[in-house]
Amino acid sequence: MKPILLQGHERSITQIKYNREGDLLFTVAKDPIVNVWYSVNGERLGTYNGHTGAVWCVDCDWDSRHVLTGSADNSCRLFDCETGKQLALVNTNSAVRTCGFDFGGNIIMFSTDKQMGYQCFINFFDLRDPSQIEDNEPYMKIPCNDSKITSAVWGPLGECVIAGHENGELNQFSAKSGEIVGNIKEHHKQINDIQTSRDKTMFVTASKDNTAKLFDATSLEHLKTFRTERPVNSAALSPIYDHVILGGGQEAMDVTTTSTRIGKFEARFFHLVFEEEFGRVKGHFGPINSAEFHPDGKSYSSGGEDGYVRIHNFDPQYLEFEFEA
Amino acid sequence: MAVKKEPPESADPPAETEPGENAAGPEESGEEEEEGAEEEEQAEGAHEAPDDDDEEDEDEQPEDDGTCFSDPEDFVDDISEEELLGDLLKDRPQEADGIDSVVVVDNVPQVGPDRLEKLKNVIHKIFSKFGKISNEFYPDADGKTKGYIFLEYASPSNAQDAVKNADGYKLDKQHTFRVNLFTDFDKYMNISDDWEIPEKQPFKDFGNLTYWLEDQDCRDQYSVIFESGDRTTIFWNDAKEPVSIEERARWTETYVRWSPRGTYLSTFHQRGIALWGGEKFKQIQRFSHQGVQLIDFSPCERYMVTFSPLMDTKDDPQAIIIWDILTGQKKRGFHCESSAHWPIFKWSHDGKFFARMTSDTLSIYETPSMGLLDKKSLKIPGIKDFSWSPGGNIIAFWVPEDKDIPARVTLMQLPSRQEIRVRNLFNVVDCKLQWQKNGDYLCVKVDRTPKGTQGVVTNFEIFRMREKQVPVDVVEMKDGIIAFAWEPNGSKFAVLHGEVPRISVTFYHVKNNGKIELIKSYDKQQANTIFWSPQGQFLVLAGLRSMNGALAFVDTSDCTIMNIAEHYTASDVEWDPTGRFVVTSVSWWSHKVDNAYWLWTFQGRLLQKNSKDRFCQLLWRPRPPTLLSQDQIKTIKKDLKKYSKIFEQKDRLSQTKASKELVDKRRTMLDDFRKFRERAQGLYQEQKEERMSLRGGVDTDELDSNVEDWEEETIEFFVTEEIIPVDE
Repeated sequence: MKPILLQGHERSITQIKYNREGDLLFTVAKDPIVNVWYSVNGERLGTYNGHTGAVWCVDCDWDSRHVLTGSADNSCRLFDCETGKQLALVNTNSAVRTCGFDFGGNIIMFSTDKQMGYQCFINFFDLRDPSQIEDNEPYMKIPCNDSKITSAVWGPLGECVIAGHENGELNQFSAKSGEIVGNIKEHHKQINDIQTSRDKTMFVTASKDNTAKLFDATSLEHLKTFRTERPVNSAALSPIYDHVILGGGQEAMDVTTTSTRIGKFEARFFHLVFEEEFGRVKGHFGPINSAEFHPDGKSYSSGGEDGYVRIHNFDPQYLEFEFEA
Repeated sequence: MAVKKEPPESADPPAETEPGENAAGPEESGEEEEEGAEEEEQAEGAHEAPDDDDEEDEDEQPEDDGTCFSDPEDFVDDISEEELLGDLLKDRPQEADGIDSVVVVDNVPQVGPDRLEKLKNVIHKIFSKFGKISNEFYPDADGKTKGYIFLEYASPSNAQDAVKNADGYKLDKQHTFRVNLFTDFDKYMNISDDWEIPEKQPFKDFGNLTYWLEDQDCRDQYSVIFESGDRTTIFWNDAKEPVSIEERARWTETYVRWSPRGTYLSTFHQRGIALWGGEKFKQIQRFSHQGVQLIDFSPCERYMVTFSPLMDTKDDPQAIIIWDILTGQKKRGFHCESSAHWPIFKWSHDGKFFARMTSDTLSIYETPSMGLLDKKSLKIPGIKDFSWSPGGNIIAFWVPEDKDIPARVTLMQLPSRQEIRVRNLFNVVDCKLQWQKNGDYLCVKVDRTPKGTQGVVTNFEIFRMREKQVPVDVVEMKDGIIAFAWEPNGSKFAVLHGEVPRISVTFYHVKNNGKIELIKSYDKQQANTIFWSPQGQFLVLAGLRSMNGALAFVDTSDCTIMNIAEHYTASDVEWDPTGRFVVTSVSWWSHKVDNAYWLWTFQGRLLQKNSKDRFCQLLWRPRPPTLLSQDQIKTIKKDLKKYSKIFEQKDRLSQTKASKELVDKRRTMLDDFRKFRERAQGLYQEQKEERMSLRGGVDTDELDSNVEDWEEETIEFFVTEEIIPVDE
């Protein structure tokens, strides 16, 4: 089926995210605009305004009340999802790279870049205590000296944050004590994206080392590896099948010197268990920076370096396809 | 201080020890020491040896009259000086010190004292070039010097320099210096007059060096270098997937090469070349050649030629070394001005001769003496290129036009040096000599500019070597020639001609009557290289590098294109030695991404895609020539149907086995994963209440588990359509 092309950004897409029900799609890019769309027809509902720099990350809480964004303008902002009103502003010393609501939607987490002499930190704010935001006093602030955080998600039940680092390491930070409760290094280059399964029992990482890997969210046990020939920028797990989608391609800095053919900008589908590739979807003319399945598993979206977001509805053949086993 | 508590035996008189740390104790460290010594003295009693030879001690301790440090009469020194101060004794001046820096010069003029000063001046002038002369000695007898002198330099390296450069120095007609290191004299003196028979070297068993030819399934081997050269692996080529035989890290520093018959694998190292072979790829031979860059084997695998840009000196040619592979011995060294055209030495097909071209000369050497054939080179003014026939000891060379003398292609028989064919050519720009693999034909590609025309015309001059007087036929081509290649073991040749993007391929057949027949021509080809199967008949036309790796698989028996395919950005094509498989590859040396090698059948069916991190090079292990006679090969070809049935059955069997294995593998993977999921889901179910409480009692486990909370929205679908062309 024809994909729906969302043209709401002037610069390359940095992250896309569905809300829990999947009716809304949030997109952020290297421009200051945060867009929200109806995922079913691609109609733009509105924007969340306020940022003055590239927006690196976006998240929406489970009941679609709040939207959280982090930006290279050294701020993290909380918006009312429905009205677009800015509810809170947290200023930081360096760019905000990752952000997220915990399971209950009460605690927010964001990580800052190691930049201009400032360290990389993960900050935790409890929204139930308005003074924390007002005074810019997170209830917890964990420094990460070794290697900066390049991607992070909340683990099951909001007990910990799983963070991927620039050197390929994965750490579990307890949301209560700040301690590192788990550590593993399976990638040897930067981890660009982490996404959990629907039930949050496992997660998939996408790394610059040309692989995506599946881990158990609690034990950090490494389960599967999906290999490609290009850096992987994003990987997502299907909520209904044992499928993984990988998005990536030639690094953005090299793209101008190579043809689209060599860039391999297709979205690639792998079987979760057999680690075998079974399909590709072309479309972007730059690397895919972020990809996500619709929560119903019947469509997916991808946002690319080319500035477009594409919503693809799966053909019936995809839904019928089965591996011989 | 240890000395204080020692029994008197060890309290040596200071004079007996070298002045140093150990002796410092009793001498200098003051009263406490003396008191201690006094006490000991009293305890020992009065029978103290009179200590009078120790003056130094007495000076410092006049009141004690020196006796306190003396040994008793029955004292036996049981600690050697080495033990006490070995580190200092090591540096003690030796009689033989500096002996390394002394040279002996023979054949010096014998002069009387009146002219000695003059001689010294001359000697100084010559020998101080190599370093400062610190000492000299002119032995004399009967008022005349003896004709040999000794010179000592400041350092041994100066002396070595002097030996290297001044030995053989001609002072005048009667006097030629012989310069030797003084230390070498012993060596020369001790040489026995009787020749000793060298000891027999024990036979080293490297196992069966041709074991790979005995593989049950007649598989071939190939070497793969990857991880930008850090790893090298030898694989069996298997239709399913490559089977690794041996993998080593840093096996070679640059690349590897197989010997022409596949017996040895050579690896390159800063210090030289190593050869490996046998079942476990053990090291068989080493050749030490610092900075070696290029190598070449003789076709018989008996000799190896190595080239290094380092190490060459005027009187010791070491740029090119020829080695005996079996013994590991250096056979001969050669100078080398430029390595631009490797191999510099070209071998005859049987390894009996090798030849090299320098300006106006062609030097042919013979094995095993490595000396010039008939002790002289051939003078061929203006010689531009030469080439050995792969089928006999015939050398072909060409000479360009010189004023009125036309350009000439000459075929010369060796060792008789008889010219068996000379062909004169006019208006020649360039010639290329191309032999058919059996030496049945020679094609000379001649680029000419005919009088009164502009531009270059190419002629293929085809020499039929097997016929009397070597008849020559000509094929003229008006187009630019991109590539030319003979069919190995056959009489066809293929030519790629034209200009990008209008490239055509044309196939010719040299008939028995000498007629050259154009069989077929295809235009609009995407190709710049021709790769014939080593068995002939089939070939691959490849558009490497700039042509994006377009591939065409051709059967020349009826000149059909069997398949058109592509290996994007491919840089290399390699046929296996049997002509059953072709490998195309993208080498990291030419392209930094998508480094991989793909395996195809000769018909162009893709079998495998093997991606290797920073893959560099794949080389098939060559096979030695077949032992079957022509008749035997014919019979096999006749009975091919019989054999093919057996093989097809075998293939089917292994295929069903493979697909069953795959399904089995998947099944176990799935079972393992299911088990993991059950565990995870069990935990997940346990946490349900926790989840509910965190989300205010709302069940969000399923997408539609809280449908009652949903709000309805009316949306419309936009039916505008925009077509954006993507990709290709």
